[in-house]
Amino acid sequence: MSPNPQHWSRAIALIDMNAFFASVDQRDFPFLLGQPVGITNGMRGSCIITCSYEARAFGVHTGMRLREAYQLCPNLVQRPARPKVYARVSTHIMKAIHNICPDIEVFSVDEAFIDITPSQRLYGSPEKAAQLLKTAVYETSGLLCSVGLSGDKTTAKYAAKLNKPDGFTVIPPWESRERLRYVPVTELCGIAEGMGGFLAGYGVRNCGDMEKLPISILAKRFGNLGRRIWYMCQGEDPDPLHIDVAAPKSIGHGKVMPPNTRSREVVLTYLQHMCCKVGARLRKHELEARTFWVGLHTKFGWTGEKIRLPLMSNDSRKIFQHGKRAIEFHWKGEGVHQIQVTALDPQPVAMQLDMFASNPEQQLQEKMLHKAMDSINQRYGEFTLSPARLLNRSDMPNVIAPAWKPEGHRQTI
Amino acid sequence: MKFKIQRDELLNALQQIIGAVEKRQTMPALSNVLIKATSDSLSLTSTDLEIELVTHLKMMIDEPGEITVPARKLLDICKALPADSDVNISIKGEKALVQSGRSRFSLVTLPAADFPSLDEINVGSEFELPQKTLKDIIDKTSFAMAQQDVRYYLNGLMLEISAKILRAVATDGHRLAYCEKETDCELSDIKQVIVPRKGVLELVRLLDNTEEKIKVILGSNHLRVELDNIRFTSKLIDGRFPDYNRVIPDDGQCIMTADREILRQALVRASILSNEKYRGIRLILEDNLVKLQAQNPDQEEADVEIEVNYKGESLEIGFNVNYMIEALNVTDSSMVQAAFRDSNSSCLLTFPELKDCKYVVMPMRL
Repeated sequence: MSPNPQHWSRAIALIDMNAFFASVDQRDFPFLLGQPVGITNGMRGSCIITCSYEARAFGVHTGMRLREAYQLCPNLVQRPARPKVYARVSTHIMKAIHNICPDIEVFSVDEAFIDITPSQRLYGSPEKAAQLLKTAVYETSGLLCSVGLSGDKTTAKYAAKLNKPDGFTVIPPWESRERLRYVPVTELCGIAEGMGGFLAGYGVRNCGDMEKLPISILAKRFGNLGRRIWYMCQGEDPDPLHIDVAAPKSIGHGKVMPPNTRSREVVLTYLQHMCCKVGARLRKHELEARTFWVGLHTKFGWTGEKIRLPLMSNDSRKIFQHGKRAIEFHWKGEGVHQIQVTALDPQPVAMQLDMFASNPEQQLQEKMLHKAMDSINQRYGEFTLSPARLLNRSDMPNVIAPAWKPEGHRQTI
Repeated sequence: MKFKIQRDELLNALQQIIGAVEKRQTMPALSNVLIKATSDSLSLTSTDLEIELVTHLKMMIDEPGEITVPARKLLDICKALPADSDVNISIKGEKALVQSGRSRFSLVTLPAADFPSLDEINVGSEFELPQKTLKDIIDKTSFAMAQQDVRYYLNGLMLEISAKILRAVATDGHRLAYCEKETDCELSDIKQVIVPRKGVLELVRLLDNTEEKIKVILGSNHLRVELDNIRFTSKLIDGRFPDYNRVIPDDGQCIMTADREILRQALVRASILSNEKYRGIRLILEDNLVKLQAQNPDQEEADVEIEVNYKGESLEIGFNVNYMIEALNVTDSSMVQAAFRDSNSSCLLTFPELKDCKYVVMPMRL
């Protein structure tokens, strides 16, 4: 093989923001620089969402309970998450990347894959293009990132992880297979314990063992995902960049409730709160759904049901009415600590007309009412106009989901 | 109980009634078939508590008795036996013995007394009609029944019997199928019942395209159909079927006639590239021309044009292509007429050679 080191047949970069939320806070509040910072959901949040590298040095990590983190790092500075700010910064960064290389897959709020293949000639080489991206991230946000560059998504992600923070790791595609040979398969993104256990059963522990295993064994057990993993381990992940945000399979909102909530009024308030959020979000994206999952998490696990509305809807009030009936049927008053309302299989509004739907005037009236309410809330803030019950709603702040995206239905907090 | 029966005869009887046996159920007896042997006849019964199927065979019985045995296992055994063999069935202790040639099977039984029976049916009215009339009317409408709709009364077929007319209507809210037939039943008042989906599908399996008369019995909560050697009984859906007359439109301003098969094939071709989930297709009517356009999320497109008879303003309207194809599938009549009002109103499909059927399809906004 005589590869041209200048131009690769495929060049994929992964940009991973280092301790993103904590870095944004350290940037905005200079007194936090050099401090071990732990971000929680408001000051009442009890779980570390992310933490600065100074805190990581003490062994603090994402997902750790705050109490435990204080034991490891008594000087930890707790900061409330500012999801709107993070979303704004992330959007700016993604835009700056997009201006340099337009083929970008926003993988999460602080990670993106970039296909450099088409623009490598323009910038001279894949390395130069990737370097340009790293600089652009810093110039746009003042934040550091780690870059992994290789010929496929999985190797690029693995490369980015090798050198953190502020790293820049290149694995040319013709070296990928050798570089991955002694890497345990579970180190790769997408291979968790279940799959790892299956592979170990066949004697595959490191990526290099994979070539001994026929691809059909993985295909039979895991289908296309299995085939992908077979290629992944050999440095040839075929997965293309998912540039468009896929149409939603579901739209849902959930919230953690005060531990052991038993009050019916509180539960109903949370329920209506979530129904209003789901309804508003469906309307924002001109979607509606007929089936909704309404669930309460108690110490016995999830209780609730999939409710079916007579007709497609995005009317928060109707979702609440049916949801309330489901909760009243399933919930026997045991302590609740979490609630979830999810619209399943949402579809574009009023696509298939129904011959027994309510009369057109009533439909129009409901539509106008929603439009007025939604535009007031968009301008003056969520729940400026809301059902009276929501005056007592939880003041726990909204949380930014890991699957957040700068565009489409995932652009939500 | 003890009797000898030809394998083919037993297999045929079991296949007729197996549809009522659910693959999974909570009551053990429901996975069984009830075998009743009297001195000169044998009957097999299956039920899922909503429908009940009973088949009768005239034959000599060595020793009368009754018992229930696992239905699917007995069926599988019969299937696996050679075609023209004899089967001996008898009871020994708590087991049923099935023996044919040198193959012997012993099956677990449950007492016949544990076998649930449908509530007593109080005969409201009864009439006779040719088998093929009932089969035809179900074939032409049942495809439009809803499946698991919360509007439970849509998950079945509405049958309406009035003087000399038998009418069937099925709808899932998106489309509606209507068919009526003349009969010689003399009912003074109109009777309307809703037969559950599963019952309709089982009933149509039993019917043939023959002139042979069958007896239909309407109870307050049941429909019973008696064929030559099999009796079908179904509970009815207790609900009000929507007023179908309200949603069947009059002929609209835009009337198109086309060759049914040509239109159907064009729809099938265009449907290949319609969205797999929503199945939307755009229909554009112009002077003596219909254009069908489909598009999928991969931005692939299909464009199909056919010549039709149409004079009038051009019209663009979207539909779920499956609803159109299914309505065109039920008949072999050569022409079809489609009447439209506007792109937000339903379309009425009729067939000049088939005066008694009407199909309504609601549009899709694309």
